[in-house]
Amino acid sequence: MKRILPFVIIAFVLGAGLLTARYLQRASSETPTPSPTPGASPVTTAVNPGEPGAEPAHALGDPKAPVTLEEFGDFECPPCGVLHPILKGLEAEYGSTKLRIIFREFPLVPNHVHALAAARAAEAAGLQGRFWEMHDLIYEHQKDWHEAFDVRPIFEGYAKTIGLDVAQFSRDITSDIIERRIFLDGKRAHSLGVQGTPTVFLNGKEVPFESLAPDKLKALINNELATAHP
Amino acid sequence: MPSVNETSRPSLARRAAILYGVTAFIALIGLADSIYLTVEHLSGRSVRCTITSGCSEVLSSPYASIRGFPLAGLGAVAYFAVFSLATLAAFGYRFVGNLLTLIVAAMFLTTLWLLYLQAFVIHHFCQFCLLSALVTTSLTVLIILAKRQKVH
Repeated sequence: MKRILPFVIIAFVLGAGLLTARYLQRASSETPTPSPTPGASPVTTAVNPGEPGAEPAHALGDPKAPVTLEEFGDFECPPCGVLHPILKGLEAEYGSTKLRIIFREFPLVPNHVHALAAARAAEAAGLQGRFWEMHDLIYEHQKDWHEAFDVRPIFEGYAKTIGLDVAQFSRDITSDIIERRIFLDGKRAHSLGVQGTPTVFLNGKEVPFESLAPDKLKALINNELATAHP
Repeated sequence: MPSVNETSRPSLARRAAILYGVTAFIALIGLADSIYLTVEHLSGRSVRCTITSGCSEVLSSPYASIRGFPLAGLGAVAYFAVFSLATLAAFGYRFVGNLLTLIVAAMFLTTLWLLYLQAFVIHHFCQFCLLSALVTTSLTVLIILAKRQKVH
């Protein structure tokens, strides 16, 4: 008996390990069930409106769109970079009349050394009316500048690419107005209890981080649309 | 009357068995840690960036997988191998000792490399990876101690 006991223990641990892996996989892939009834939203945490944030907010889509998705993002955060193409896809799929997307700055300083510089660059582009173009470039090239020692010339290169007045852009990066916009977005984030990035609110309710996959987000948006137009 | 050598031999063997038993138990902690990370990796979820953690940077880095295979998965296989061999060694299957030493040595060297990557290349530390480093270091110390029972 003593000779086979270790093999029994090993087989037991192997089985337990496989079952645990299966359980964890199921738990992480569970999709929240969209609720067909108004008022019973699958988005879990209802929040109050909080601080207003920077005005005007960077927004895509019709202000009267039935669904508003507000993202608190950090340009240097890898999961935010993963979320970026997902939101682009949703924007293209639903169109500006159904979905409005708002971006709020939430650079995680000092954990991300270039996050503030990236936020400033996007905001400086915003002063020349090209926030989203810069926003897209910064996210799409996240891996290119993330490791760089000095990101300023890289962002100036992006500014040139999207046709900004680069001299003005370089001056604006350190301006008080931009400092204030980032501060106000941060104040809004804290008032809503944002702890990390990306944090997404759908019609004012926080979307759980595990629901930021395309199919899950679509299910939540469809539910909000169904609620708006029963 | 038994000689000194005759009395100390069973006691040394028992001590080695206990050390291998502890090794198997510690390997279970590493196994649980790496299973969790493997499932997270395979489910395509990246750990959220927060003010206090560098997990997302480490686990989203290109070093987190080898040709698409998650490094944590490799870790789970290694921890399971250590657990199995240490269990066998604890039950008197002494022939597995050398293979166990070889695997733990390889794991320890990998851990040193991963710590270097976190500290000097990625510039962020992930607590799950640090736990794994602690487990592997403990395994290395235990295996050295268990080996010494045999030598003396």
